[in-house]
Amino acid sequence: MLVTWKYRPRNTFIQRLDPRTRFIFMACIILALTIPEIWDYRLLLPLFLLSLTLFLMARIEWKDMKRAWFYIFILLFFIVGLNALLSGRGGPSSVTNLPSPVLFTISLWADRGWVVQITVSKVWFALNQIMRMLTMALPAIMLPYTLDPNIYGTAFKRMGASDRVSFTMDLAFRFMPTFARDLTITVDAQRARGYEVEKLKGGLFEKIRKLAPLVIPVTMQSTVTGEEVIDAMDLRAFGTAPRTWLKELHYAPRDYFMIGLGVAIFLVCCILKWGFGIGGFFVPDFFTNFMIN
Amino acid sequence: MNNNSTWEFGTRQVVYGAIGAALYGVFSWATNIFPLPAAGNVTFRPAVAVLIFFGAAYGPWVGLLAGFIGNTLGDMITGWGFYWNWSLGNGLMGMVAGLVMAAINDFKARPDIMKAVAYGLGGIAVGMLFASLTEMFVGGIDFNTALVGYFVPAFIGNAVVTIILLPILMIAFAGVAARRGR
Amino acid sequence: MAESPLVIENLTFQYRTRPEKAIENISFELKPGEMLLIAGSSGCGKTTLARCINGLIPRSYRGAREGRVLLHGTDVADMQIAEVAQTVGTLLQDPERQIVASNVYNEIAFGPENLGLANDEIFKRVEQAMKRLRIEYLRERETFNLSGGEKQKVALAGLLAMNPSILLLDEPLASLDPESAHEALEVFRSLADEGKTVVLIEHRVEDAIFAKPNRLLYMEAGQVKYLGAIDSLPTEINHREVKLPAEWVVKRVHQMGVTPKKTEPAVSEAGGTPLVVFENVDFRYSDETPLILQGVNLQIHQGDLIAVLGPNGAGKSTLVKHAIGLLKPTRGRVIVEGKDTQSMSVAQIAHTLGFVFQSPTHMLYAPTVREELEFGPKNLEFEEVDIKKLVAASVSTVNLKGFEEYPPLGLSFGQQKRTTIAAVLAMQSKIMIMDEPTAGQDYSNYTHFMDAMCRPMNGSKSLVAANFNATLFITHDLDLAVTYANRILLFGDKHIVADGRPEDVLKDFDLLMKYRVRPTSLLRMNVNLLPRTGQFLSAEELAAYA
Ligand SMILES: Nc1ncnc2c1ncn2[C@@H]1O[C@H](COP(=O)(O)OP(=O)(O)OP(=O)(O)O)[C@@H](O)[C@H]1O
Ligand SMILES: Nc1ncnc2c1ncn2[C@@H]1O[C@H](COP(=O)(O)OP(=O)(O)OP(=O)(O)O)[C@@H](O)[C@H]1O
Ligand SMILES: [Mg+2]
Ligand SMILES: [Mg+2]
Repeated sequence: MLVTWKYRPRNTFIQRLDPRTRFIFMACIILALTIPEIWDYRLLLPLFLLSLTLFLMARIEWKDMKRAWFYIFILLFFIVGLNALLSGRGGPSSVTNLPSPVLFTISLWADRGWVVQITVSKVWFALNQIMRMLTMALPAIMLPYTLDPNIYGTAFKRMGASDRVSFTMDLAFRFMPTFARDLTITVDAQRARGYEVEKLKGGLFEKIRKLAPLVIPVTMQSTVTGEEVIDAMDLRAFGTAPRTWLKELHYAPRDYFMIGLGVAIFLVCCILKWGFGIGGFFVPDFFTNFMIN
Repeated sequence: MNNNSTWEFGTRQVVYGAIGAALYGVFSWATNIFPLPAAGNVTFRPAVAVLIFFGAAYGPWVGLLAGFIGNTLGDMITGWGFYWNWSLGNGLMGMVAGLVMAAINDFKARPDIMKAVAYGLGGIAVGMLFASLTEMFVGGIDFNTALVGYFVPAFIGNAVVTIILLPILMIAFAGVAARRGR
Repeated sequence: MAESPLVIENLTFQYRTRPEKAIENISFELKPGEMLLIAGSSGCGKTTLARCINGLIPRSYRGAREGRVLLHGTDVADMQIAEVAQTVGTLLQDPERQIVASNVYNEIAFGPENLGLANDEIFKRVEQAMKRLRIEYLRERETFNLSGGEKQKVALAGLLAMNPSILLLDEPLASLDPESAHEALEVFRSLADEGKTVVLIEHRVEDAIFAKPNRLLYMEAGQVKYLGAIDSLPTEINHREVKLPAEWVVKRVHQMGVTPKKTEPAVSEAGGTPLVVFENVDFRYSDETPLILQGVNLQIHQGDLIAVLGPNGAGKSTLVKHAIGLLKPTRGRVIVEGKDTQSMSVAQIAHTLGFVFQSPTHMLYAPTVREELEFGPKNLEFEEVDIKKLVAASVSTVNLKGFEEYPPLGLSFGQQKRTTIAAVLAMQSKIMIMDEPTAGQDYSNYTHFMDAMCRPMNGSKSLVAANFNATLFITHDLDLAVTYANRILLFGDKHIVADGRPEDVLKDFDLLMKYRVRPTSLLRMNVNLLPRTGQFLSAEELAAYA
């Protein structure tokens, strides 16, 4: 159970970008879709393809990512499956109200008369939602593999964060593997005392309480470590003067291009939505039509 | 050593903010990988109790940093990407819980533990409410879904974990503090 | 400046939270290039003194401070932290806890960065520091997977990058294997030769004198018991509090006329049915990584008291984790009491075999010692009544009586160690395995601990002999193997390279050196006297022969 950043230096367009560029671009995409609430597939599709292309350009090896994809799909399933399809609650209320042909109905506890109607609009919404979510998530999903963990602090500093906040970032990265290892050791130590995480007895609450033997030692040791780290940092004059951050960051033309692109996307989305009312959710006619005849 | 000025932000806060974040990240990651028994779409993340504890022990700034950075790191190593509103929600969770710090002087005293738990629940309410409501714009869900589908389960899960584990953490911490400096 | 780098004038300090003084009027003066060795048992105030020198007292630690600490003539209390940081470089006990950056280069640059120096200046300093300690080859590495010795060099480089005139080293050897420890000591010496003033805090005097300190300061209960030259053996120094060369101990025992109790070693009953068997065990952590164990064969017998020696990273811990089933062989079999560990859960094996991890903080969690000790038996589903008995029994065995309702995390380190042992005792395991039971403890603590565990006291059997059929411990401290074990396993090159009585295995110094185990003065003396003693003895006991 070793936490490792699967980061690898690769000579790709993505990794040649300035880290700040990547954060800013990511922010633009997220804002562009959330602030003006874009749901129109004519906008989502191209943006999704853009994110996807950038993602593929990062050339992350499949073996590094297959695990991650597994969890991503679990996430998608819960959000889409549970909210969009089953509990018709998913999405802008329009989705449920839209008069829309029923594909099929799932009946859970038919006796209780609880049946869920899977309508065209729900399915269509689900698809849009997945697309929208991935568009926003992909730039972040690739970060751990393509961004040197040692650069985050510097990047934030250069984007105007304070010395202290930026260094907190670095320090957090520094300690993660340490605590992951502490946790592994603690798990072993308790197993050696006959403790079996897999088969904890008792009800749910009891089960949670029985996690104490794992949570307590690691947490308490970390509080002790903290005192030493504080001394170590004070003794090396942390926070006595404005800090030098060794690593220089420089924007290259490609960075201006990407940032420009991001900002443009954001503006276009805002203008279309608020200026022309384009961008809301709707089910293209050809669907419903094709369903009816 | 422990100066109880709530809003101070020095080396101490930086260190415990980072340590809290790293721990929160590791624990959430661990439970993302091996999920605990869940009821409905309520999931239980023991990590939350640790976050609340760091807030209560080291104050609001630590709570905020630990929650925000920790949740981000947790999602990242799991491979989920970055969900700013949930990270921020977690930050608020720890921050509100951190407001209790100055009011605690004995970590194994019942009343103080009660206080911490109360603030913890407050923090969970605020943080999860923020995350759920913002999900309306981010995830495009309606108000009901936000409330019933997101807030309620998230609140229940985190509250249960906190009520059970936070007191245990605080009592253990009282022991550690007792032998400060070996 | 003309003033000496460090002057301390009747310094006294009492922590706000403590009724008693931690250190009491201490005075001394150090010249450039001078090295002072500070020794004393745990809790005698060494670290407190260090904190006074590097300004953490009075800055970070509250309390009553009297007297003066002058760095180049100015009192540390009147200096800016940044100034102090560039005058005194402090190396803390555990480098793992002092390294703040994820990669080596940033770690070394950390201090200068905080001073807000210009980039090229920082680059220059970092390069110099790395060159000075010959660790350029580490520049690209992640700090997390450095070895203990490397971590320490990196931490030290981080200090040198601040160009301090005084180096303050608080138990720097504690987390190193003997060979790395000696490398470190050589470095300290050479730094002193370059004119730096070095304060070396270390209870392992025997090892520390290898760095040829000019003077020794010996403390007890916060007070100076001896301050002066090292060669003339001062009887003020208690050989039971700090680790002295065997010759000194013998001499001191003669002078003081102590008559040590002679002990007869536990006898191994090889031949009987073995309790644990390794059959050509191979092991690798994952398909990509190389074998850690290869063709390991081992039998543990009734009465064995085994010490496992070997270099860092050789695979000692990996080996013993197989015995309790935390790891399962990639090839070959491990058999515990006739059953193959492949077919058993760790919990099942725990009935037979107790495993004590190095650091108590990795397992202690309960609000009271009693609940801590009930944890194991409850997991193994013993009867309530038995549990009560077992806990009571094990508490008294490790004499923690009266602490039952005490929070384990609030106990002293030594008491915590004993709690972990009691936890295993309460599970009624028949075999006990300890991974570096003494690491990170000071000499008096761990000798007391090992004596309590392994030394037969006035006729009766030793604690482990009385409670366990066999005991195995991993250690980097050769003297523990010499003094307590009746069987030695030397591990290296993926397998067991030597296995036998200490008297047979340990006399081959070349073999030991090959696996980074340094013969100690105690071992040498034992080997010389072996014809007359017939067995290895502790330094005190040797006095009767030497
Ligand atoms: N931060 C602190 N607050 C209160 N008391 C402390 C603190 N640090 C140390 N003490 C106490 O001061 C005394 C001296 O402790 P100190 O750590 O200086 O001893 P030491 O010689 O360094 O011990 P060790 O060899 O275990 O490091 C001990 O009684 C200890 O409990
Ligand atoms: N969980 C793990 N995953 C991968 N490799 C590991 C793991 N644990 C240890 N190793 C590697 O196996 C080798 C042996 O490690 P081990 O801890 O057994 O050595 P050791 O003899 O106990 O060292 P030390 O004396 O420092 O404790 C080392 O190279 C280490 O890097
Ligand atoms: Mg100390
Ligand atoms: Mg080991």
